[in-house]
Amino acid sequence: MADTKYDALIIGSGASGGMAAYTLTKKGIKCLMLDAGPPVDFERQRVNRSAHELPFRGFGKPGKLAHVFQATEFNANQWVDEAQVPYTHDPKEPYNWVRVRMIGGKSLFWARMSFRFSDYEFKAKDHDGYGDNWPISYSDLAPYYDQVEPIFRVRGRRDGIQQLPDGVFVEDTSGESECNKRFIAAARERGIPNTKMRTSMGRGQFASSFNLLLPDALATGNLTIVPNAVVREITVDKTTGLANGVNFLERQSHREMHASARVVVVGASCLESTRLLLNSGIANSSGVLGHYLHDQFYITQSVQAVISEARDGKAPSGFIGGGGYMPRFRNLKTKEKNFLRGYALDWSTGGSPDAKYFPLYGEALQKAVESCRGAGFSCTVMGEVLPRADSLVRINKSVTDAWGIPVLHVQTRYTSNEFNMAKDAIATLEELCHACGWEVLGRHDQMFPPGYSIHELGTCRMGDSPKTSVLNKWNQSWDIKNLFVVDGSSFVTGGSQNPTMTILSLSMRASEYMAEQMRKGDL
Amino acid sequence: MKRRRFIQALAATPAAPALLAQAPPSPSVPKTIPNPGNDAPLLYAAPDAAAEPVLHFFTAQQFAALRKLSDLLNPPMNGAPGALEAKAPEFLDFLLSQSSADRQQLYRNGLDGLNAQARRRFTKPFADVDAGQAEMLLVPLREPWTYDAPADPVAAMLRAAKDDVRRATTNSPEWNLAATAGRTRGGGAGLYWLPVD
Repeated sequence: MADTKYDALIIGSGASGGMAAYTLTKKGIKCLMLDAGPPVDFERQRVNRSAHELPFRGFGKPGKLAHVFQATEFNANQWVDEAQVPYTHDPKEPYNWVRVRMIGGKSLFWARMSFRFSDYEFKAKDHDGYGDNWPISYSDLAPYYDQVEPIFRVRGRRDGIQQLPDGVFVEDTSGESECNKRFIAAARERGIPNTKMRTSMGRGQFASSFNLLLPDALATGNLTIVPNAVVREITVDKTTGLANGVNFLERQSHREMHASARVVVVGASCLESTRLLLNSGIANSSGVLGHYLHDQFYITQSVQAVISEARDGKAPSGFIGGGGYMPRFRNLKTKEKNFLRGYALDWSTGGSPDAKYFPLYGEALQKAVESCRGAGFSCTVMGEVLPRADSLVRINKSVTDAWGIPVLHVQTRYTSNEFNMAKDAIATLEELCHACGWEVLGRHDQMFPPGYSIHELGTCRMGDSPKTSVLNKWNQSWDIKNLFVVDGSSFVTGGSQNPTMTILSLSMRASEYMAEQMRKGDL
Repeated sequence: MKRRRFIQALAATPAAPALLAQAPPSPSVPKTIPNPGNDAPLLYAAPDAAAEPVLHFFTAQQFAALRKLSDLLNPPMNGAPGALEAKAPEFLDFLLSQSSADRQQLYRNGLDGLNAQARRRFTKPFADVDAGQAEMLLVPLREPWTYDAPADPVAAMLRAAKDDVRRATTNSPEWNLAATAGRTRGGGAGLYWLPVD
């Protein structure tokens, strides 16, 4: 019997929903959290296997999870099955929508790169004239980054880099290998900064909402979590125009239920949140809901090199290994000729180049692979994608998911700005490798399709005007004041940094505002 | 080596029980499953330990070429099984039978092309060429790596096979056994996600 009156109904249990629950429940607000996925017992759900024991020897079932390039035969069951929750796109414009439906959401599996945005992102238009500024600045969000980083135990080194603000870090005091020193010096000579990777260490094996946020929220006694609840629509009181709850379907039985609350908080991930609002037919007086989809383009193994002195296991201790992060360095003070904004580089030494890079086969190939084991350099390029109005999602009413809910159609593609940026990144990396005296085995500037980074952003953007944005500066719907959207869909620009710390900080900030408004009786 | 003889040889090896105890369960050897209703555990074996794969996908000539190619790409080395011992061609026949039409065409056209080239240059199918002749036919594998696959169908197939044969070999039960015995590095392994209910 649903006899509890909830103050807030939170949709989604990942980073944004989890932080909303964490913040609101500590302020005494009764929260109901719905998530489309089940709770997972990781000890029972995962077992050690050798590849030869899997049905497809580690190749994976052909055709399954065709858009999830991160999927392997080992982890195939952790991702949302596209056959169950499809989406559509023009075949010429592929989109990789990578999803997780479990309690904890994608925060269970993220790469844990933990960065702050700066005013190069928040006030990007002021800097280069393109697009829009956020309605907030770095100083508005900094106090929330300060609170989020200790929860996630972000390890990093304070380097005073303006475009990558320092945080409240567990200090990284590790040294650099000789190879890394050489690479960093070559970059410094060219004006390219470097820092240690900034990583959420979390606790135990996770740095997730699942273990860092939800337990504390539950401990307050103010949180109820209902898993396996596939939300179909947000319902609105026709008299007041306010959101009054949601209709959802039980994942397994498809039984339809209605849950009520004073405030609805949407944190179902960027595109699922946008899909829900579009399917509900709300919060879109501006007409921009679903537009300005952007992410970061990724090029993995962009430049693969071999460090000759480390071949055949000859590297002395401390010579090779480790890595670093080069934050955006383009278009900060001077303007590049053929692209706006910039990219970051996540590089490492001490890996082993894949056999495909060697123009050999047979015994010669096996010897070369063995010779270069642990002697490699590799780098991933992460580039900012410009938010564009014609990069969008809309509802495709002709296709529904397993619960009969209309799916998204995604329409987006990278353009010359991203392609030119990618070319610059590869040329820069190759120049650095040559400066270090390393042998480049392979190079390419081919980015994965949009979506690959799992950093989809911007389709429910915040802004200063209800005419040009969906949310105000508090992640609050301009149209429905008791509706908040606290995930990455609220972003105005995406930068080249992993957005998770910013999502968490925005959700905390919005939740504190929400709690205060509720206390004052304004919500 | 026939599968049955392979298992017999394993059982005859004095160190085998200890090695098997350290290794993850293998489909090549019987598994012990607790049987709560009886003190005697039931023993189960994987299909590969008791039967041979039935081939479906490649024609006889294509498969003969693939076997030859696999042996050239991944010969046995330093105690590690080669592609033929690992039955990589047989596994690829199965994998390709489940794959997309594009992937199937890549292999069929490529192997047909390789046979055609061998006949044109040496008047015999690829399976029968000698080492020197094979070297001449596999020249595309000496080209530096590029991101885009070669446009030539044979070169494109060779590139795909170089990766697939290697992986099918190192992910085989035979490779796993060799790794367990310390004759080579371990193949693929990891935490497997069971289906989520």
